[in-house]
Amino acid sequence: MTNSKYLVPLLALLMLTMFPLVQFFSNQNYIIHLLLYAFFYIIMTSSWNIIGGYGGFISIGHNAFLCVGAYVAGYAAVRYGISPFYLIGLSGLVAGIFGFIVGLITLRVKGPSFIISSIALIMIMRIVFDHWDLVGGASGITLPFNSLPVQWSKLPHYYSFLFLALAAIYLNWYVRHSKFGLALRAVSHDETRSAVAGINVKMIKVTAFALSAFLIGSAGAVWADYLTYIRPNMFLVILIAANIVLMVILGGKGTVTGPIVGTVIFILFNEIILTFFGATELNILLTGLLLVITLLYFPDGIVGSLKNKNILPKFLDWG
Amino acid sequence: MIYILQIIILGLCLGLVYALMATGLTLIFGVMRIVNLAHPIFILCGAYVAYWLFVLYGLDPILAIPIAAIVCGVLGAIVYKLVFEKDAGSQKYSEMTVLLTFGTAMILDGTLSFFFKNTQRVTSPSYATDAFFIGDIFLPTAQLYSGLVSLSLIVALALFLKFSTLGVAIRATSLSRVNAELVGINVKFVCLFSFILGCALAGCAGSLVSFVFSFFPAKHFEWIAVLMSLVVLGGMGSILGAVTAAILLSVLASLVGTFLAPSWSTMVFFLALFVILLIRPQGMFGKYLS
Repeated sequence: MTNSKYLVPLLALLMLTMFPLVQFFSNQNYIIHLLLYAFFYIIMTSSWNIIGGYGGFISIGHNAFLCVGAYVAGYAAVRYGISPFYLIGLSGLVAGIFGFIVGLITLRVKGPSFIISSIALIMIMRIVFDHWDLVGGASGITLPFNSLPVQWSKLPHYYSFLFLALAAIYLNWYVRHSKFGLALRAVSHDETRSAVAGINVKMIKVTAFALSAFLIGSAGAVWADYLTYIRPNMFLVILIAANIVLMVILGGKGTVTGPIVGTVIFILFNEIILTFFGATELNILLTGLLLVITLLYFPDGIVGSLKNKNILPKFLDWG
Repeated sequence: MIYILQIIILGLCLGLVYALMATGLTLIFGVMRIVNLAHPIFILCGAYVAYWLFVLYGLDPILAIPIAAIVCGVLGAIVYKLVFEKDAGSQKYSEMTVLLTFGTAMILDGTLSFFFKNTQRVTSPSYATDAFFIGDIFLPTAQLYSGLVSLSLIVALALFLKFSTLGVAIRATSLSRVNAELVGINVKFVCLFSFILGCALAGCAGSLVSFVFSFFPAKHFEWIAVLMSLVVLGGMGSILGAVTAAILLSVLASLVGTFLAPSWSTMVFFLALFVILLIRPQGMFGKYLS
């Protein structure tokens, strides 16, 4: 039994690594797009889970960091001609520092005030970016296309996202099982008692927030290159943040595999809806409906509920 | 000087409308500890009711207030029964409730977008383009009427909460739920009633908003942040605080809008939110929220 715990994830990883080989035989760009889209969201949900799941600070504004990362990479690519792939680390760092500063302010409050402050963060950034002529204002930045043949053009993004997703999942696992994560979960239960127990409450919270901002920012760099076009109203909308929150809640917040399961199921669900109903406003309705139903009937999410009933498959049980 | 006075008066009128928009929100929070992110979408529902009544039957938006209030109140009752009844039982804030209201907002947003699309709409009764002149100061009639109606509704609400038996029960419940139950208040009914009252207030605000601002379904996301900043600045659960904050920030916003650029004016609300969280998280009139 212990073998299957490692076997299934390793097999899945192997398959995902080898999958682009099908491009030799036929062009499966759409499936590649879906997979990298899933990786992209796994990065965001896993990083969100660090502060939202373990820390208990629900943020409906995490796409602010995605925006910062994307703009750092996009601006450098256009102004200085540096490929965004070299800037993944830098974008992450800038987003992380930004997250650190924002966290110092907003993590002073918790509960509803924090959620509201996270919404206000996107609103402020939207106004600032819309007026910031240096980065193109409301019309945004157009990035250069990469020169690869169409068959291979998505692969750099595919592998970058895969790598970043693995990093995010590992970080999630690390936070779950490290002393840092223990302190973070203690803080989420009771800040006063944690402080009495010798935990530096403020630093723990802000570090966790900056960490999740860092990962999302790095994903932003790759995402900017993938879209080749960045604009404030693509990033700074509440719907992206709502999707992140929904995916984590659906999978099970505060678990390592929850964000992954939630992301995969939600993206499949979305694809099915798109196939049958097309892209309409009904999508917003269904997203909301799914969120409400999950919260009312399975507040622990899929992984959490299965775990409570002790029927969680071994390969999903990473804490 | 006259110029600045002019801007302040315009800001004041809008501020009263914002105040009415925020009172329902702060009332619901005070009684049930539910941060109702769906509140702005109820306002939009009210605005659509007023809009269609005006377009189809030529009914004046101000006269449509009771109808909008009833529609939103009924909608609120349905939402409360379906979604919040379970959680309203414990007077303890939980993240889940906020997300529930967020999901509700998305459901209603999707429904409205599906039927009405993302067209900007505004009700245009005959007085919408008129203005009064007092000396050199001009007062757009729409703003003046909406401000006065808001003010009278807020005063009516305050009197109701102060003097009626039900109002006292609501205030008692928001002070302490356990003690309210001990003295024989039917807390469950008070919760249901204040949720419906809050939603009906949103409907009233909606019909006023329908001729003051142009609106479309996705607009509520912007309003969420604006209204929340008022409620947080005033102190969550404090109606007086929300009204004061609304007037203060709205005047400030119209000053910024005039001297900087109109598109920067909403920035005032969001920045105020950050500043208040930084220096006084409990707001002007609020108790600290844990």
